[in-house]
Amino acid sequence: MSSTVLTDSRWIARGAERTSFSRFLAWLAPWSAMLTLGVYAAFLCLYRGLNQTNMDNRFAFGLWIFLDLGIIALGAGAFFTGFLVYILKRAELRPILNTAVVVGFICYSGAVAILMIDVGQPLRAWFTFWHPNTHSMLTEVTFCISCYLLVLCLEYIPILLRNRQLRRLPSFLVFEHQLHNLVPVLAGIGTFLSFFHQGSLGGLYGVLRGRPFAFRHGFFIWPSTFFLFILSAIATGPSFLMLVTATVEKVTGKQLVPQDVFRRLGFISGILLGIYVAAKSIDTLIWLNFTSPAEGFAPWTYYIHKPFGTPVLFAEIVLFGLIPAFLLLYRKTAAHRGWLFSAAALACIGVLMNRFVLTVQTLALPTLPFDDFLTYTPSWQEVASFGGVIAYGVIVYSLSYRYLSLFPQPKGEDAHVPRS
Amino acid sequence: MFPGVDGFHWTAGHIIFLCLFFAVVLTIALTVISAMRRTIGDFRSHRAIDLCWHADFADLPATDRRCRHELAGRVISRICPNAFDCRNCDKYSEFAVLPAKGMTHDLGLNYSSDRFYHRAHTWVKPEEDGTVTIGLDEFADHLIGRPDSVKLPGIGSEIDLNQSAWQMKKNGKEISVRAPIEGTVIAVGGPKENWYLKLRPRMDVRDPKTLRHLLRGPEVYGWLSRELERLQLQLGAPDAAPTLADGGMLMPNLMDTVPRADWNTVLADTFLEV
Repeated sequence: MSSTVLTDSRWIARGAERTSFSRFLAWLAPWSAMLTLGVYAAFLCLYRGLNQTNMDNRFAFGLWIFLDLGIIALGAGAFFTGFLVYILKRAELRPILNTAVVVGFICYSGAVAILMIDVGQPLRAWFTFWHPNTHSMLTEVTFCISCYLLVLCLEYIPILLRNRQLRRLPSFLVFEHQLHNLVPVLAGIGTFLSFFHQGSLGGLYGVLRGRPFAFRHGFFIWPSTFFLFILSAIATGPSFLMLVTATVEKVTGKQLVPQDVFRRLGFISGILLGIYVAAKSIDTLIWLNFTSPAEGFAPWTYYIHKPFGTPVLFAEIVLFGLIPAFLLLYRKTAAHRGWLFSAAALACIGVLMNRFVLTVQTLALPTLPFDDFLTYTPSWQEVASFGGVIAYGVIVYSLSYRYLSLFPQPKGEDAHVPRS
Repeated sequence: MFPGVDGFHWTAGHIIFLCLFFAVVLTIALTVISAMRRTIGDFRSHRAIDLCWHADFADLPATDRRCRHELAGRVISRICPNAFDCRNCDKYSEFAVLPAKGMTHDLGLNYSSDRFYHRAHTWVKPEEDGTVTIGLDEFADHLIGRPDSVKLPGIGSEIDLNQSAWQMKKNGKEISVRAPIEGTVIAVGGPKENWYLKLRPRMDVRDPKTLRHLLRGPEVYGWLSRELERLQLQLGAPDAAPTLADGGMLMPNLMDTVPRADWNTVLADTFLEV
């Protein structure tokens, strides 16, 4: 028990067992190096311009937009868990709530950081608020994501203020208490904002009339992709939370939440994924048989360009949709930890694949007779920025897990038995 | 787009979109302002310290939240649901009449029967003039020995129950001692005097309910024997094989004699820090 081992023990919650400070620093070191490289790459993009990337006027969406769409979908577990706990009063999911907020905060702050680099003019970021194009889905996305990140910060503050040292200041602890009392309001706002920005991110592709691979009809001003994006996000958000928690349990060797929480999340994820797969299948059939022919495109022409063949469509709907939905809902597989988390992983891969297909395949496919099938390989700066966001997420989560109470501590029994 | 920007003109889309957006922003702002106003209100109405203690209490491990009646052997197992405020416990009178069954053998520490004890290792001695004297109990005294420095509150200052009453430093460790009773400071002492504060309690000390939240009699022995057991485990070598305790007396000045122990944890457990 040397003094170096205990360097940061004053900041760790009482009774929480954490690895030694030196081992924790060793864990952070490679991620910090990755983050540093990412920050350098981001600096190059901001300082020298977007010529540092391999995107161009034709291939304007690349790795970054895929990352944004992917982590925003996976981060949906934050708003959806808040909605289930505070609005639908599903108290059994409370143990996962804090980690859901931290995961959501990481996903959205990472997405906003990447968007700042992608837009390329951070000093003019306020333009989008002062000159908003109310006919653009992206305007709604910008407004909602900005507001929702603010909501996530406010939800993160109470968790932060319960740190062992910060709580010593009575004003912090009382503010935390009062803010925590108002969290249901924030959860309601978060649900409203998330519903619209998750939808608008999908709607963004559905309104691309010049890109028949993505173009969809829908309801009123919203194309079908608007609703599919919401469904897929709320279906896979809980799965991602399960994966994160299970990974932390594996790394730390501790059971952090009751097994029932995983089963409940898996069930919710499975039900929603099943609905999503059904809706996606119907949407695909309508698109292949009506929407696309009406635009003058034979449906199977989209799948003659490798590697985007029909196996991609099959994988997206069946392998990473129908199968995980079945595994999450079937009682025997849902009760088995290995199957449960494999299914959750498949569901998460599925949503990432969906975002990848809509971003990259949409832009790669030719739309005019003289167009070619385009290929795009991200530059090292794009890859490094991407890696930087991943490293940022790991570091923030590691720090939060070490110094904050993300999971409930075992408190013991409350029953009292008078002695006869 | 907005007024003042070239070519701007209002449309229904602008109005709907901006109304929704600003309604959301306004709600977020009002939520934060409301939390801040309530926080200020809590401090003005002296509820803040109570809220802090309840938050801390909820985060204490179960071993630290045992009911006094369990310590005295009146009930088999019970966790206190009232943050140790027996004055507002509806079960107090039901359990207090049961016979105590705890052991009362000599633990080698002086715990006087004319004093009342707080779980954060302070004692309260009621004086004849209606004031109370407050000091550190023998257990805490043996742990710390002579502190390197003591920071006491000023005379006339108000102290709330479970608030940090005074702070000490020993070997670089900061120790915050919780107040066992609420009142106004009328005198300050220190380690040399063997007491730290004299208070004029906010409530009449002759009323039995005023000091009901503090331990006395067999409860003290039950509590103290658990505290000694905890300390023995914490000061033992971390990888040592389980051994039977052979009795013995608590040595004085343990922070100096066992400097390599995890004192952050020991002190947090002793003074009910989270």
